[in-house]
Amino acid sequence: MTQTTPAPAVPAIADPVIQVRSVVVAFGGLLALKGIDLDVTRGERLAILGPNGAGKTTLFNVIAGDITPTDGTVAIKGRDCTFLPSRHRPRLGMARTYQKARSFDGLTIRENIYLALAGHRGRHWPLWRSPVDRRLDEEATEVAESVWLGDHLDTAAGELAHGQKRQLELGMAIATQPDVMLLDEPASGLSRGERERLVELLDSLAGEVTLLLIEHDMEVAFSLSQRVVVMADGAMVTAGTPEQIQSDPDVHEIYLGVEASS
Amino acid sequence: MTARRLLTRGNIGLALLVVVLLAMPNLASAFFVNFVLTQTMMLGVAAATIVFLARYGGMVSLAQFLLVGVAGFMFGNAAVEGGARGLNLGMNPWLAVVFAIVITTAVAFVLGALASRTTGLYFLMLTLVYAVIGFFVFAQIVELSGPGGITSIQRPDLMGPPVRLYYAGLVLSVLVYLGFKALGRATFGLTLQGVRDDPIRMASLGYNVPMHRTLAFTLAGFVAGLSGVLHVWWNGQIDPASIAIGPSLILLIMAVIGGISYFEGAWLGAFVYVLAFTYLRDLPLIDQIGITEARFNTVIGAVVLLIMVLSPEGLAGIAARVWRRVNKPASAAPTAPAGGPSSAA
Ligand SMILES: Nc1ncnc2c1ncn2[C@@H]1O[C@H](COP(=O)(O)OP(=O)(O)O)[C@@H](O)[C@H]1O
Ligand SMILES: [Mg+2]
Repeated sequence: MTQTTPAPAVPAIADPVIQVRSVVVAFGGLLALKGIDLDVTRGERLAILGPNGAGKTTLFNVIAGDITPTDGTVAIKGRDCTFLPSRHRPRLGMARTYQKARSFDGLTIRENIYLALAGHRGRHWPLWRSPVDRRLDEEATEVAESVWLGDHLDTAAGELAHGQKRQLELGMAIATQPDVMLLDEPASGLSRGERERLVELLDSLAGEVTLLLIEHDMEVAFSLSQRVVVMADGAMVTAGTPEQIQSDPDVHEIYLGVEASS
Repeated sequence: MTARRLLTRGNIGLALLVVVLLAMPNLASAFFVNFVLTQTMMLGVAAATIVFLARYGGMVSLAQFLLVGVAGFMFGNAAVEGGARGLNLGMNPWLAVVFAIVITTAVAFVLGALASRTTGLYFLMLTLVYAVIGFFVFAQIVELSGPGGITSIQRPDLMGPPVRLYYAGLVLSVLVYLGFKALGRATFGLTLQGVRDDPIRMASLGYNVPMHRTLAFTLAGFVAGLSGVLHVWWNGQIDPASIAIGPSLILLIMAVIGGISYFEGAWLGAFVYVLAFTYLRDLPLIDQIGITEARFNTVIGAVVLLIMVLSPEGLAGIAARVWRRVNKPASAAPTAPAGGPSSAA
């Protein structure tokens, strides 16, 4: 067991977008998170690394409001959101993707993205179509094109290949132009070419967008992030710049060891 | 432009069907129109609310016939005047319609809200409980239901001749069919399908999932209420036994026979059921092979089983499959089966 260093080298930040304080999550007897502290500044690009079962997705679920932590607090943009249900997150400018793609399989790509847009705009109830919907459809089309799905607008999401599902997942997150994005393993299962396009796309996001990224692919993680946090066994092991993390012997032992030195 | 788009094969077929149905009173016997077809229309609308909830919302409801009954009882209580059974509110019959629909919709809202956090089998069981409780409420609160049911319920003068009731059922059916189909592409229909496919994702996109389920159930209750008003006009009476668990199951069976993911299936299932119910016992030799009144439900059960084995998507599913096969050679041209049900198994 490595000792828990509570997020070292984090400067006292001026403009915190996400503040996680001593968050504990227990699933029955299993402690998935054992007291996590994390501060993320506006515009920061943060990668979270760690072996399977480390608790990375659980941490995302807590920040995104899909799970209420057993203990501890979560604040977003200075507002305590510990008990705020996930459906209030889009209004705070937050969007996320899921590790296991969660698309609406019975609906087309355009409709999937439409729902992301309409959800954010508060257009939830109309019983008939109107010109507003036509504009949203046009926006959805543009978003689909930006994630290279422009040729599949009327394809049901359930019929997409794995890589395309990941692209749709990303499209639904960027559609609302969030300023905080949580991406859970966006590159998993993608081909090399698709990964390069993904990095390119994420690189092109506006500078003030805060990006939290869980990623197994080192190349993707290190090339996109300014800071890397390493988790293992429900705790934060270490944090630092990509260069520091790559040369950290502890990290090599628990995580990179298998990968040899990259 | 839009007129051109409306000329799909599905829409032309529907228009032809409506023309034939409008002409039915001149083509068929009064019994066939006023008994078989009128019932098909009323039950079809009620079954369509099951399809609506199942297809868009992923919720299979056993409470729709209860809501049909609530509307019927409320109309009876409101419209019937002194001396008869029930509350005898003696309202103007049209006001009584409004009263019945408002109460039914409100009941649906409350029941929907209570069920809004359940899905799948739990939702089915909860609505079964609603149907059972609803029956007992009307059976035991005799001030509302009789005692022994509310009889001599008059329909408004405008609806006097039975054939008008048939036309009313036909108009309502067409509106409900087109409305439910159009809703599938409108915002609320899309959000509901989103809730069906992945409620957690919907919540993280900003939607209030339980409220969506609740309002879907409320809308279905409103439409079931319209069917209930027609039903009580047609029947002239209503008693608690008519909304017991048996009829509630039968309505679900109609939707399943027809194909629970096709709106067409609601009316198809209702038609097949009413046909079977009306004519099966009159078939020659039927007594000899032992199908008596008491065994009628066994026959219906066997029919349901047969259809389910042939096609889990019901009769409409069989029809859609045949339709696709017939259109295979033609579909080399890039014409999507517009208007047709989109869910392919
Ligand atoms: N909903 C849940 N119920 C029970 N256990 C869970 C649940 N979600 C995650 N876990 C457990 O919590 C631990 C952390 O999981 P997770 O956060 O998904 O890890 P990671 O994303 O780092 O691979 C694992 O042991 C996992 O089995
Ligand atoms: Mg994970």
